[in-house]
Amino acid sequence: MARSNEVNLNECKMVVPLNTWVLISNFKLAYKLLRRPDGTFNRHLAEFLDRKVPANANPVDGVFSFDVLVDRGTSLLCRIYRPATAEEPQPNVAELEKPVTAEVVPVIIFFHGGSFAHSSANSAIYDTLCQRLVGLCKAVVVSVNYRRAPENRYPCAYDDGWTALKWVNSRPWLQSQKDSKVHIYLAGDSSGGNIAHHVALRAIDSGIDVLGNILLNPMFGGQERTESEQRLDGKYFVTLRDRDWYWRAYLPEGEDRDHHACNPFGPNGRSLEGIKFPKSLVVVAGFDLIQDWQLAYVDGLKKAGQEVKLLYMEQATIGFYLLPNNNHFHTVMDEISKFVGSDC
Amino acid sequence: MVLYDSTALAGNSSGSSSSSSSKPPPPPLQPQQQQEIDGLLAGAGYKVRSSELRKVAQRLERLETAMVNSPADFSQLASDTIHYNPSDLASWVDSLLSEFAQPPTCPSEFVMDPVTNQTVVNDAWTTTEPNMPQVHQNISYEQQSLNNQLTVVTAMEEDSGIRLVHMLMTCAECIQRGDFSLATSFLEDMQGLLTRVNTVCGIGKVAGHFIDALGRRIFQGIGGGSINGGSAYENEILYHHFYEACPYLKFAHFTANQAILEAFDGHDCVHVVDFNLMHGLQWPALIQALALRPGGPPLLRLTGIGPPSPDGRDSLREIGLRLAELARSVNVRFAFRGVAASRLEDVKPWMLEVNPKESVAVNSIMQLHRLLGSEPNRNSPVETVLSWIRSLNPKIMTVVEQEANHNQPGFLDRFTEALHYYSTMFDSLEACTVQPDKALAEIYIQREITNVVSCEGSARVERHEPLARWRTRLSGAGFRPLHLGSNAYKQASMLLTLFSAEGYSVEENDGCLTLGWHSRPLIAASAWQALSDAPAEFPAPDTHRPS
Repeated sequence: MARSNEVNLNECKMVVPLNTWVLISNFKLAYKLLRRPDGTFNRHLAEFLDRKVPANANPVDGVFSFDVLVDRGTSLLCRIYRPATAEEPQPNVAELEKPVTAEVVPVIIFFHGGSFAHSSANSAIYDTLCQRLVGLCKAVVVSVNYRRAPENRYPCAYDDGWTALKWVNSRPWLQSQKDSKVHIYLAGDSSGGNIAHHVALRAIDSGIDVLGNILLNPMFGGQERTESEQRLDGKYFVTLRDRDWYWRAYLPEGEDRDHHACNPFGPNGRSLEGIKFPKSLVVVAGFDLIQDWQLAYVDGLKKAGQEVKLLYMEQATIGFYLLPNNNHFHTVMDEISKFVGSDC
Repeated sequence: MVLYDSTALAGNSSGSSSSSSSKPPPPPLQPQQQQEIDGLLAGAGYKVRSSELRKVAQRLERLETAMVNSPADFSQLASDTIHYNPSDLASWVDSLLSEFAQPPTCPSEFVMDPVTNQTVVNDAWTTTEPNMPQVHQNISYEQQSLNNQLTVVTAMEEDSGIRLVHMLMTCAECIQRGDFSLATSFLEDMQGLLTRVNTVCGIGKVAGHFIDALGRRIFQGIGGGSINGGSAYENEILYHHFYEACPYLKFAHFTANQAILEAFDGHDCVHVVDFNLMHGLQWPALIQALALRPGGPPLLRLTGIGPPSPDGRDSLREIGLRLAELARSVNVRFAFRGVAASRLEDVKPWMLEVNPKESVAVNSIMQLHRLLGSEPNRNSPVETVLSWIRSLNPKIMTVVEQEANHNQPGFLDRFTEALHYYSTMFDSLEACTVQPDKALAEIYIQREITNVVSCEGSARVERHEPLARWRTRLSGAGFRPLHLGSNAYKQASMLLTLFSAEGYSVEENDGCLTLGWHSRPLIAASAWQALSDAPAEFPAPDTHRPS
């Protein structure tokens, strides 16, 4: 545990640009205000503080977006991001769901981060990230506004992800011309990465093909305290205490961190040997205290004979992919683009 | 079912739609105000001047230290503090710091310079790597929100619904081009298609109203005809049912009242001027809140503006009497005055009989947009009215407006915008099952649609403009924003869960609050205060009455 009264702020100042430090520190402090010791969450204040942006069906930098109510029962919204084409730079609003025209169009289903409790599909930081992914991968991006903890515990987020996957898979207008199928990738950061894994699991044996998983600093954990957790606790924006809080908020009451949602390759996990699981791109930040769990995840995939590429960004902290002001950002974006482009 | 809604802003965002007599329209931002803000943080929703980044960082550090070292203050901070305008990060951090009894200096902020033995600021932050391009935002934060924006929320749609939308747009486009015969044939096709589409809900229902409105425009012309002739009495009934059927008006009243209550804190003589009294639905809650305030209620005067009653009844006075009864029952000294005027621009400030000693609140629920003339000209009504509001030196002016851009000069743009906006609004009404509230609320909305689509010139009064535009206009007219905080936000959110179905959402937007359906804001509430640098122009009460 971090020493209580001494605030060790110096290390993280040295490794990130100033505006990134301001952004992530702001989140860190605001989030602390929202987590109550009794496990409840100040949702009203969270929504008040979260900076959101509307969708925009008028293209900006070649990308336009619109929101779709995918499931009325759970009020599940997804924000769809599409590239504006040269022939139709200004889409007619009645043609938002016009069929994709390319031979192969990757459709990336994106799950935003926030440790299962924070943020939304229309949070400014995630809206920006999704727009980038469109241009980078020449893809359609579907950002899922999944239900959050602690009001909605496991498995709500996974259920919503699964609903979104089924919805995407059944849209004729998202089918690539080449084979009249939807070319689906699952992606997410932090809790979103965790959700991507579990939704991919659910897709096994369902007949829905997921072509690849992209996990950015995915949120995994376990009962044990690992070396990285102890070494990096409190040093780079994140503490073990807050990680514990979020797991307690998401996992079913009474469950510990070896629950398979948290620890998919732990004692309660499911073996992936012999299973047709999508290839994975896993990005791990060298200053992320949960990296031991993320590396264990990569190992778990490898041991089960699954295809996985690890990108270990030594000098990166959490959230490095939110602002394009560092080398790790550009490296990772290039890799994502190659990962998605490789099945064309 | 399709819900389409949009906020299409006119491409040319630089001019305001009205101008005052002696000066050019205020530009969106004065050059000296256009400080360079960090472009990347702006993209994340935060306005921080690049030159202030270091200072904000240091304050954040201090705040963190304070939070760790004063757990008692911290838990109070977490539960009781009211937050304002989170986009203004510097102010937010400062306001939180001020909650701590003794904001510490951060030991890491200052170090001893070993050579000079002096305390120097510890500048431990890395500068951005030299080969990283610096992203500077050339346009200001405010300018961003004025750019072309179109928000669409959809749901599953059947083919015939999509075709209907196509045809509506094409018909509107014909009308814009002046090709009325082609527009008429589209109209007939649409009427036919409508019989094959579900008109009980979704796009079919709202399409019916739009087809209707287009028909009026083509066949009856743009003078408004019978729709605008609806009697004041009818309007009030419809308004009341709209109030009951969905939370938009309740949100407006609730949020405005909260702001007014706070503004009146510590004042003993207060005067509320309501620009559209209707049935006075907003005021019982304020009267009761004032009755319960610590230290006792003030003397409350309410001046209600409304249309004259045609049949000799004094409906304004009747409402005033009922409110007075309520006030009496809760021991609030109360006085009411009705001001009958067919149009807001006919009201003169002397009619309000404002006493210089009282604290004034001006309350405008969906009235200011009616003052936006069709042509920018000298002394347009909105400028005149804003100017005399300012001369009253109100403690607060609460403004609620539809969050839509229905005042664009181009017909097709306006039509598209309205189709999206009202589709969303109708969809949100689906959540209401109470009759006749729902049916009458729909008629209320239908009248708005008809006005936006089929009227022009002075007949078109539903000239809704988005919050970003109102901000510019009100700032230019000498008002500064009073931010609505997290307490108002929380109460509005809680009100929604109590009274309405899931799907409604309250959002904070740069100190204002919006209520919308799913991710689309439909109504925006803001509060303002007159800047006091101009000398008061308000004449003594009895010198300007006409003889």
